[in-house]
Amino acid sequence: METTSTVNKMSRRIRIGLIAALGLAVAGCAQDAPQDTFDPAGENAQKIQDLQVPIFILAGVVGLIVLSVLTFVLIRFRDRGQAIPEQSHGNPMLEIVLTIIPALILIGISIPTVGTILALSETDDTECIINVTGQQWWWEVDYPVQDGCGGISDVIITSGQMVIPTGTEVLVRGTSRDVIHSWWIPRLNGKKDMVPGRVHNVRLQADEPGIYAGQCTEFCGLSHANMRMEVIAMDPDDFETWKAGQMAEYVAPEEGTLAAEGEATFIAQCSRCHQVNGLEDDDGNPIIARPDLQVYSGATPNLSWLMTRNTFAGASWDLLTPECRADVWDASPETVGEKYLEGVSPECLNSVDFREWLRNAPAKKPMYTDPTELEETGGLPRGMPDLGLGEDQIDQLVAYLLERQ
Amino acid sequence: MFTTGSKFLIGSAVFAIIATIAYGISQDGVMGTIGLASAAAALSFLAGVNIFTHDSNVSGSDASAIDSCAAAEPAPANSIWPLAFALGAVVLAVGLITYQAVFIIGIVLLLAAGAEWTTQAWAEQASAEAAHNSEVRSRIANPLEFPLAAAIGVGLIVYAFSRVMLWLSKTNTVIALGVLGAIIVSVAFLLAYRPGLRSRTAVGVIGVGVLALVVGGAAAGLDGERDVHEQETTVDLAHEGICESPEEFEADHNASQSVAATAAVAATITLDDSGELNYELNGPRPEGATALTLQRSSPSNVLFSNKSGEERRLSLNLGPATAGSGADEEDAPHQVCTTLVEFDGEQNLTLIIGLPSIAAEDGYHFFVPGVESAELELIVP
Ligand code: HEC
Ligand SMILES: [Cu+2]
Repeated sequence: METTSTVNKMSRRIRIGLIAALGLAVAGCAQDAPQDTFDPAGENAQKIQDLQVPIFILAGVVGLIVLSVLTFVLIRFRDRGQAIPEQSHGNPMLEIVLTIIPALILIGISIPTVGTILALSETDDTECIINVTGQQWWWEVDYPVQDGCGGISDVIITSGQMVIPTGTEVLVRGTSRDVIHSWWIPRLNGKKDMVPGRVHNVRLQADEPGIYAGQCTEFCGLSHANMRMEVIAMDPDDFETWKAGQMAEYVAPEEGTLAAEGEATFIAQCSRCHQVNGLEDDDGNPIIARPDLQVYSGATPNLSWLMTRNTFAGASWDLLTPECRADVWDASPETVGEKYLEGVSPECLNSVDFREWLRNAPAKKPMYTDPTELEETGGLPRGMPDLGLGEDQIDQLVAYLLERQ
Repeated sequence: MFTTGSKFLIGSAVFAIIATIAYGISQDGVMGTIGLASAAAALSFLAGVNIFTHDSNVSGSDASAIDSCAAAEPAPANSIWPLAFALGAVVLAVGLITYQAVFIIGIVLLLAAGAEWTTQAWAEQASAEAAHNSEVRSRIANPLEFPLAAAIGVGLIVYAFSRVMLWLSKTNTVIALGVLGAIIVSVAFLLAYRPGLRSRTAVGVIGVGVLALVVGGAAAGLDGERDVHEQETTVDLAHEGICESPEEFEADHNASQSVAATAAVAATITLDDSGELNYELNGPRPEGATALTLQRSSPSNVLFSNKSGEERRLSLNLGPATAGSGADEEDAPHQVCTTLVEFDGEQNLTLIIGLPSIAAEDGYHFFVPGVESAELELIVP
């Protein structure tokens, strides 16, 4: 009886182990794996790939040898009641050899590793500089005035998605407004912590147009999991078009339209937090949002060109319906830039998620906005609070925001 | 059969019962009757206990009992712990109506005296020999008592010393320490020179010294600390609106000029010989960019490096924005600056700018007071 139950237990364990191993193996074959470090899409990620693959193979071989020897020793010398063998006090020759071999392997690994680290921290060949700033729980992206990036004459500011020209050495200068975040686009480069008060550099270069996903990789609180980002690489020509759109003048909605009502609602409800460049009050003075007085991080996404992006709220939800999304995200490298530049048309707007956000943002994305629990942050919320808007106000705002492109 | 004690208790109980009845009938008072009845009950109970234990009396005919009875044991020496315990209770009570500190001292005294009393009482029952008992007590209590007493003693001395030092003026501190040093050296010399000096004398001298220190500390503590001058900082300069000045102020004295090489600052702004302000990043500077871009509401560290011949400060006027952010906005100044930085020196300036540059009429500009040509635009998106 006892033996059979032990055997049963053993075989059950083996079965569970096999299933787990199978699960792991299958997970490794995911078809849709947009954040795959083993699928580099630019020279920086390629450098990492060229380093990690040989090292993984080497480590695998070493691991196999060690495991085989261990298994052999365990079986061959298991306790069969034999006498205890003669005890020795070490074997200097063997020990020296077993020290020298790993040392040589480590030296062999360290040379290309240090080389790669140095190559990835190179900044001399930069052709375009972009700033990213993390805060709970989204990334801000801004493009300082420069001759680089094909020339930027007026600061561009956006959020969640970073648009870059292909074949260009981009230098991302990152920091944070609150806690430590980490910026990682696995197919383009390694990860980098973004630390308040410090500026850390990441090189980016994409060979082909495409949308490269990533997410914050340093636990940063409640909605860490909803702090995602994308890099959109497009041909330099398309990039010029995108830039021109971001630097364009504000166009107010036509009088009497739903969007015009939306503008008024936006000014009343949203503009204390969100900047829309060019928005003016009745006296013609620019309306300056004061997120520094309204939210803990002191910043909110700039909504001037909201609908030129295709995700929102920490790139965690799509601004496009699934069909329209697939049209852009699955487009070939030749067409993806063009498709992305189409922005969000009224037909393509993912109004379910978007309206849910406007109806009650913290219900969609966990954020610290409950007024009774803001003592620690001096009464300031972390994230967008529930504004208690009515459905007609939401209609107006959607109409207004759809024109922000 | 009835021992002395039980006779007394039985008598008292009977008397209390009679008194209860008499009082109850004659006076008709409920409270008094209850009180007397309680006394009668209590006394009867005690009398019962006493009869049961035979009053611990020893019969004169029992020879062995004479040696072993409690009365035959040597009486323990006088103890100060009951006194200390009572004192603790009083201090605690006083503390309840005066200060919390007194209350805490009372608790500590009560606990310490209680613990000592308990250990002593326990040790005194260990054997019939007083010397052995006191040894037992020491073995149990000393490992705790010595370090605790030492810590309290050292704490008291250090605290008293610090009070005296904070009370003395800066110069007098120097004199006092000189005198103290001289005394210590002389005493040490004396002890070394005359080894015959009785240790009682030495202990006495040191004891008097410590006592003087503690008394001095208490007096100095009550009198308060000397005025400590607070060094002015650049924040004070900003508040007074004098970041525009190339003059030297107190804030500029003894300013720390070093910044770690790994600081990863947002930008390094350099003033060169020709009076130009230029900036560098920890990577390349954006080509063709004359202005520096720093994020809004983000703590940005800017390093000012002075390569001009004179001591200079870097200043920034913030227009409508303030150097604070969020809640502390109210009284935050509208400018920031470094202290005067010597030639080839560097100093960090941390900026958190709440408003974008479009909010300031002419944007933001770094400048160097006293150098007209030194100007650098700052863009905040
Ligand atoms: C108290 C400040 C505050 C107010 C008022 C506010 N928001 Fe927000 N909003 C935020 C913050 C903070 C975020 C970033 C949340 C995140 O992604 O984690 C945000 C994000 C958004 C986003 C996503 C933007 C992007 O690029 O990801 C939209 C759209 C938005 N808000 C619309 C509105 C509208 C419309 C209103 C007015 C009805 C409004 N907000 C009012 C603070 C505010
Ligand atoms: Cu994060």
